[in-house]
Amino acid sequence: MFVVARWEYVEKIKSKAFIISIVLIPVIMLAMGVVPGLLASRPDTDSRKIGVFDKTAELFHPLQEYLDKRFKLPDGKPNYLLIPLADTVNSVKEGKNLADALVMAGDIEGYVIIPKTIMTDSSIEYRSENVGNIRVTDRLTGAIRYLVVQHKLHERGIDPVFAKELTSPLEMKTIKLSKTGEEESGFAQVFFTAYVFMMMLLFLVMTSGQLLVRSMLEEKSNRVVEVLVSSCSPTDLMAGKILGLSGLGLTQMGIWAIIGIAISLKFGITLIALPSALLLLVYFILGYLLYAGIFVTVGAPVSTEQEAQQITSYLTIILVLPVALALPVMQNPNSSLVTILTYFPLMTPTMMAMRIPINMPSAGEIIATIALLVVSAAGVIWAAGKIFRAAILVYGKRPTIPELFRFLRA
Amino acid sequence: MLKVSQIRKQYSTVVAVDGVSLEARRGEILGLLGPNGAGKTTTIRMILNIIHPDTGTITYDGLPFNEAVRNVIGYLPEERGLYRKNKLLNAIMYFASLRGIASDEAKRRAYDWLKRFDLLNYYDRKIEELSKGNQQKVGFIISVLHDPQLVILDEPFSGLDPINQIMLKDILLELKRQGKAVIFSTHQMDHAEKLCDTICLINTGKVVLEGSLQEIKSRYGKNTIQIIYDGDGSFMPTLPGVKTAHVYENYAELVLNSTNHQSQLLVEIAQKLDVKKFEKVEPSLNAIFLELVGADKKSQMKNGDIL
Repeated sequence: MFVVARWEYVEKIKSKAFIISIVLIPVIMLAMGVVPGLLASRPDTDSRKIGVFDKTAELFHPLQEYLDKRFKLPDGKPNYLLIPLADTVNSVKEGKNLADALVMAGDIEGYVIIPKTIMTDSSIEYRSENVGNIRVTDRLTGAIRYLVVQHKLHERGIDPVFAKELTSPLEMKTIKLSKTGEEESGFAQVFFTAYVFMMMLLFLVMTSGQLLVRSMLEEKSNRVVEVLVSSCSPTDLMAGKILGLSGLGLTQMGIWAIIGIAISLKFGITLIALPSALLLLVYFILGYLLYAGIFVTVGAPVSTEQEAQQITSYLTIILVLPVALALPVMQNPNSSLVTILTYFPLMTPTMMAMRIPINMPSAGEIIATIALLVVSAAGVIWAAGKIFRAAILVYGKRPTIPELFRFLRA
Repeated sequence: MLKVSQIRKQYSTVVAVDGVSLEARRGEILGLLGPNGAGKTTTIRMILNIIHPDTGTITYDGLPFNEAVRNVIGYLPEERGLYRKNKLLNAIMYFASLRGIASDEAKRRAYDWLKRFDLLNYYDRKIEELSKGNQQKVGFIISVLHDPQLVILDEPFSGLDPINQIMLKDILLELKRQGKAVIFSTHQMDHAEKLCDTICLINTGKVVLEGSLQEIKSRYGKNTIQIIYDGDGSFMPTLPGVKTAHVYENYAELVLNSTNHQSQLLVEIAQKLDVKKFEKVEPSLNAIFLELVGADKKSQMKNGDIL
């Protein structure tokens, strides 16, 4: 069994694919998180020219002042240059047409129409080739709304400072109470911890599950499996495989975790208390074994690459489900629905991952769920062994469900 | 060494092996013969305890299968049974360690075998880079590295060139001299004829012929005539007194109803052909095979027509 485990571990860890994935996956994840933000927040380098039809004839200058004060280019020039536009003598329509032409010619980025009625119906129009530039539209609406509010306050004779006091938002500090004393911890942090845990389990199951199915498929397609099962017992073979590939997945996780912890220490973020972490680890490993067993059970009868892909993607869906449920569960970790879901073995690890950091479940519940996981993992692995034994030698056709049950009884 | 009695295996509706019995003894080579799909591989898998027979028993030195038996058997599956991406020596060492051989001992044995098979230069190559014949040799090394007492080879000659075929034959004979029991399956009768002490011919899951090669040949009698000739020999099957005839380009094997009319036959043939050789011989295994399996195929086809 350990011989098989070592082989699977050593041979796979040497493979280029593994080394690449260790480096590449965090890079991709980082890129997905950071690059769009960088792109969106990149400051403009040139002033943007915005046309303004100011039908009220009193907002143009305050607007320019407001924008100049708030938004400057890195070199100190104003970010937005406003160009006054006016109705031509003939008609409103002609004025618009002229302005449209300016936009199309690229002389101005776009233009905004401030109607006379702005003070009562609070509606403006922005016309541009590119209305997807949310930054421009946000800043313009923000600025104009501010001016309108100021104007209204002034009309009613209300002090703007007093008005600001009135509208200041209420801030709430959340403090998590626990037996060891109070500790400050925000929802975001708890959410983050649980989320990291779930993603780790998801990744581990996906990568090593896929490796497991692939390795079985390979051995099957070139009949190595016949030599293997004639040299060692199928149970040893399967256990060795699960062990070796889990080790591989854990190595990967370990490397990432060390990097992750290093980063979080550097930024002074404490993730989670140690006892909870150990408890989570227990759920993690049991959950992983359960999934590994399932992968073997459904993976052993597979004989083509396509089937393997299909099956792994189905399993992934079950695994992703709790991630989708994460937010509602965390908002209400003690609801009875959540409790019920916790006792569904496939979801136990992830549900507990969310519940433990938020509100430690009772000891009884923890023991019950761990026992449940142990029993179901053992059961699945036992069944996997039976099916592995029989199905790994079935070539060409997929066994039917009744056949699978016969394997179980054999 | 190995005794298989009355094993039967059914896959849903197909009976793959139906009451096969055979025996492999130390110092003997057993040929497991039969056409494609006869049940040879299924029989071998049951002997290896990869699949279980539905009924029947298999004993090893009188004992049923147990974990210790595993290491007594060496097995080369039909399609080599090798990893593709791994390096040659690593793969050999892995299988050796599965068999529980210490790594330096395994290395020594692997070195000897690789040298013998002229594969030493390839030890650090990936297996997929090797030719089919060389892969076959690696598979063979893996099957005998743990010095098994019972060596089972499924189609060991397929993919080997004539030189390597001779080398493998020599090695099999050597194993036999060392007192090992060897079983190999093939559908090429000439290999079996040159190597086997006993044969077991399987067709559609049933044993149709079993026993020592010598005994079988004499059982099929001395009524076979071998003719080497020039000319068109296609008329020979219709000659009187000829039971069956296998006519090739310049060579024919005739099986006669009795041995009484041989000279008469020679006269008749010599009139039409330039006969270079006319000899009374034991039937070749190939002829026996064709007679047994071919007749069965024909009757099956007839039944099929009626149904």
